[in-house]
Amino acid sequence: MNARAPQGNNVVTQSLAQIGACGLFLLTLLGAIPRSFRYLRETVRQLWFVGAMSLTIIMVCGLFVGMVLMLQLYHVLSIFGGTSASGMVVALSVYRELGPVVTALLFAGRAGTAVTAEIGLMRATDQIDAMEMMAVDPIAYVATPRFLAGLIAMPLLCCVFCAMAIFGGHLVGVTWLGIDNGTFWSNMTAQVDIHTDIVNGVLLKSLAFGAVVSLIAVFQGFTTPPTSEGVAYATTRTVVASSIAILALDFVLTAFLM
Amino acid sequence: MSQPRSSYAVGTGLFIVLGFAALAYLATQTSSVANVRQGDSYVVEAQFTNIGQLKERAPVKVAGVRVGQVQSIALKPGGDVADVKLSIEKAYDRIPQDSVATIFTSGLLGDQYVGIEYGSSKQVVAAGGTLARTKSTQPLEEMLGKFFGAGGVVDNVGGSYTVKASFTNVGTLSAGAPVKMAGVVIGSVQSVHADPVKLNADVVLAIDKRYDAIPDDSSAAVFTSGLIGSQYVAIQPGGSPDALKDGDEMILTQSALQLEDLIGKFLVNGSPGDKKDAGAGNK
Repeated sequence: MNARAPQGNNVVTQSLAQIGACGLFLLTLLGAIPRSFRYLRETVRQLWFVGAMSLTIIMVCGLFVGMVLMLQLYHVLSIFGGTSASGMVVALSVYRELGPVVTALLFAGRAGTAVTAEIGLMRATDQIDAMEMMAVDPIAYVATPRFLAGLIAMPLLCCVFCAMAIFGGHLVGVTWLGIDNGTFWSNMTAQVDIHTDIVNGVLLKSLAFGAVVSLIAVFQGFTTPPTSEGVAYATTRTVVASSIAILALDFVLTAFLM
Repeated sequence: MSQPRSSYAVGTGLFIVLGFAALAYLATQTSSVANVRQGDSYVVEAQFTNIGQLKERAPVKVAGVRVGQVQSIALKPGGDVADVKLSIEKAYDRIPQDSVATIFTSGLLGDQYVGIEYGSSKQVVAAGGTLARTKSTQPLEEMLGKFFGAGGVVDNVGGSYTVKASFTNVGTLSAGAPVKMAGVVIGSVQSVHADPVKLNADVVLAIDKRYDAIPDDSSAAVFTSGLIGSQYVAIQPGGSPDALKDGDEMILTQSALQLEDLIGKFLVNGSPGDKKDAGAGNK
């Protein structure tokens, strides 16, 4: 991206132009939702691709995040004799921050890039133009199903991630380090609130991240220069822009929701 | 990937079901709407006057070994005692009727649990029965009070004499705090008042009559027991041949150190605040 930005001023205007174009693209996408109901099967296929196929990486990462978090917390909290609170801290940090953010970052890397590359190649090989020639709306057939699939898949993946993290934390904390099983769960249930932590934390955040990642992935695919180099750039930009957007949005959402 | 379309639908359906199952797990097992799933256990009641921070599902222990968990905590209807239901595993069904249920804290800051100390009765407590003998939680403030405050002060059987000392700052010193010499309690603080004219704190110390040979140039200082302990007055003996008498005033005093001032001095060496504090030292 730096190669294409010789002037500092241009970076700012380019970024602004990208954000503006992205916003307009979002309106187009939302407008195409009613038309895309015709292609419900395509949405299901995309849901399979971005959601079900991402399960392995999400589950393994969730397990390890929970395990390492518990290990770290146990050693710090044992200084203060507060190891019984570590299960609760694992749950709260996973629900409020790590779950949605890490899932979104993994989702951007696993599914976002694939979507961008696929649409970019469709563009480079003139498949999008061919669709228009055949009177098939490419927004309704290609873009919206992928966007909706990401929107649905993210909260579900995030729930799976969080459940695996709790399982990992339990595995390390209770089975290995010997925290009392009842204390582990009682502290957790006493502090985790279904509204602020699970609805606001897990579901709302992951829904927002799902929308942002899917929008950026589809947008980058559609606006890529139709060359092999352009597709490579677009894929990179999807990861970079998604990561920045996720972390920035996370701060804003936390500030408003907490 | 070249499977017929229906495989996508089945896989996607499985994915959605798994996602919702995970959500249901998070909502029911790890948050406050969780239900208690019981194994083979029976319920015993115990009444406490103060349960402190005891929570539902906290462990119930005998000799430190977990035998069950707290099932529910409720205020006894029409009473001011807490009715705690303990669910104890069936394997431990031989708890004597006169056992004592106590609320303990694991460590200083840890969680609270119910400990059952076995009695000697031949009769065992039945399911649904009540453990009549209980010991409630000890509030930390009370224990600290006993430790530092009234409990440690010598009783004034032999009578006491009072001396005055004025400090520019007494911190959180209050009436009843111990007066110590060489670390031993020799009296207590009778009153702490602000002087309306000199604008400092007048502290009246009641010292046991037995200690009547304290030199009159001794200094009084407000110290803190440990980092977070309560404050007390320490008397450092001087070298004068004359002893303090009833109604005397101690001239040399050292005020309480304010943690904020200390940190301030540490961080901003030689700030204007130092001039003001210079007078707060020995007077």
